[in-house]
Amino acid sequence: MRKLISFFAAVFFASFVLLYVSVQLNKTEGYAGENTLTVYNWGDYIDPALIKKFEKQTGIKVIYQTFDSNEAMMAKIAQGGTTFDVAVPSEYAVSKMKEDGLLIPLDHSKLPNLKYINPRFLNLSFDPGNKYSVPYFWGTVGIVYNREMLGGKKITSWNDLWDKDLRNQILLVDGAREVIGMGLNSLHYSLNDTNKKHLQEAKEKLDRLTPNVKAIVGDEIKMLLANEEAAIGVVWSGDAAEIIAENDNLDYVVPKEGSNLWFDNMVIPKTAKNIEGAHRFINFMLDPKNAAQNAEYVGYSTPNEKALDYLPKEITEDKRFYPDFESIGNLEVYENLGKRMLAYYNELFLQFKMHRK
Amino acid sequence: MRGNKKWANAYLVFVFLILYTPIIYLIYYSFNSGGTMHDFEGFTLEWYKEVIGDTRLWIIVLNTLTIALLAAAISTILGVMGALAIYYVKKRQMKQLLLTLNNVLIVSPDVIIGASFLILFTIIGIQLGFTSVLLSHIAFSVPIVVLMVLPKLQEMSPTLIDAARDLGANQWDVLTKVILPFITPGIFAGFFMALTYSLDDFAVTFFVTGNGFSTLSVEIYSRARQGISLSINALSTLLFLFTVVLVIGYYFISQKSSTLYGMRGRRK
Repeated sequence: MRKLISFFAAVFFASFVLLYVSVQLNKTEGYAGENTLTVYNWGDYIDPALIKKFEKQTGIKVIYQTFDSNEAMMAKIAQGGTTFDVAVPSEYAVSKMKEDGLLIPLDHSKLPNLKYINPRFLNLSFDPGNKYSVPYFWGTVGIVYNREMLGGKKITSWNDLWDKDLRNQILLVDGAREVIGMGLNSLHYSLNDTNKKHLQEAKEKLDRLTPNVKAIVGDEIKMLLANEEAAIGVVWSGDAAEIIAENDNLDYVVPKEGSNLWFDNMVIPKTAKNIEGAHRFINFMLDPKNAAQNAEYVGYSTPNEKALDYLPKEITEDKRFYPDFESIGNLEVYENLGKRMLAYYNELFLQFKMHRK
Repeated sequence: MRGNKKWANAYLVFVFLILYTPIIYLIYYSFNSGGTMHDFEGFTLEWYKEVIGDTRLWIIVLNTLTIALLAAAISTILGVMGALAIYYVKKRQMKQLLLTLNNVLIVSPDVIIGASFLILFTIIGIQLGFTSVLLSHIAFSVPIVVLMVLPKLQEMSPTLIDAARDLGANQWDVLTKVILPFITPGIFAGFFMALTYSLDDFAVTFFVTGNGFSTLSVEIYSRARQGISLSINALSTLLFLFTVVLVIGYYFISQKSSTLYGMRGRRK
């Protein structure tokens, strides 16, 4: 009995010591104070040096939290019980959050740096007038291919993927809209097509691609391509930039039929406690120098026009990641298709995944 | 016979190799200056420096340990009470019912438990953070402790209690001087089981963390989205060494106490 009591006393003592230490650490780091700002962003999607700089400039302590999918982020914000001040959803998530009343309108008078954003990226269909959101990064969906492994064969269009020589060579990202969209694009249909006949057609076309598909994978697609496990991958441009930096044999192309143009955007969710600080943070990230530094760290394309001046020429002149919009006119932004249609897309994607080779 | 033994040893070595290779692989690459988990480029301690300089990570490590210790201790106390209650139930059907209710909680998927906790906490207005994580960890550990303690209770001969009663022990004496000492091994087993469950739980914790509070498994998961940084390897290595030290320490302590008991026995 005495042994038990002393054991449990020791355990409780140890945990209170640990608790005390972590509370003290929180205090010295400033996390426990009043003047904090909670930023909810994708993992590894900001230059940590910028957070330090923001803290120094404003005296606001930033608590940085990360999520891994729009759905997880929306669930946490919708549930409440959290105090996220700034979040970074993708465009279709912005329109969904707007519909669900999860966002606080932005006060444009507190965001003077908004003027540096390229007008092309403002006032888009998912948030007219940028009432709730400000673009953070943008990019495309395209094809990464390994020049060496393909032996000089050039890939320029979605339809090149159906080539019989590419048996078991293609990796796809595990996203319903990306893959079905690829089928639609290859048939010159819109990415936001809601005509079920067109969608069936796209699905049938995708079924014919299955002999060439090696696997449908998640984030590990970057590692697999960099390690030359497959010659071709359908990926987001930011991921492409990252793997090209790792393996010189790889190249990225936005297919000529057109593709998806996506945005991640800064918003203030309704859970925000420090709305003033949130505006300051968003404005800080819109500052051209900061945006440039962030773009260089993260590797995605910045919508900030002035920031391009601060980026090295090799980056801004790279047509793969900063394409001129005149040459590829068919870049489309995903629209919110509604629950029903989205379920239909998912259903088709599932059927495609189950299709026997 | 001798040949058999050789094969048995070879098999043992083989199994341990399989179990430890991933950990060794992870430790090996924590020293890679190349920054990836393939192509070892050169030796570096850079990742360890990064881990040691990352205060937020240390706060999370401390949080994880605190939660695990507190949740394990509290759930052990609750679980022992529960096991005793089930043990003292007279009706067989009632006992079965209670045990089944207990087991359902162990079998049901973590995701469902986590989601229901999230809904519960938001309804009753508990802010997500330390309290919510601690409460949910206690909740899913209690059934495990009950399951570890109950067999020990059933193993105990009822005549022991009768004998104590005959010798004039009251209820409290029976509990503290007969029952608890007898089931002590079960209690410790339950405690350590609860401790490991709490330390490595991901699914439930994922739902109930928030407001800057996080545990190690959730943090590693969200950092892994952009490919695991080798600082995670370095941290895992440090934690692995820490557990090894703990296990060795536990071994020496138990060695020492068992020899003490042995000597006492002989003197009698």
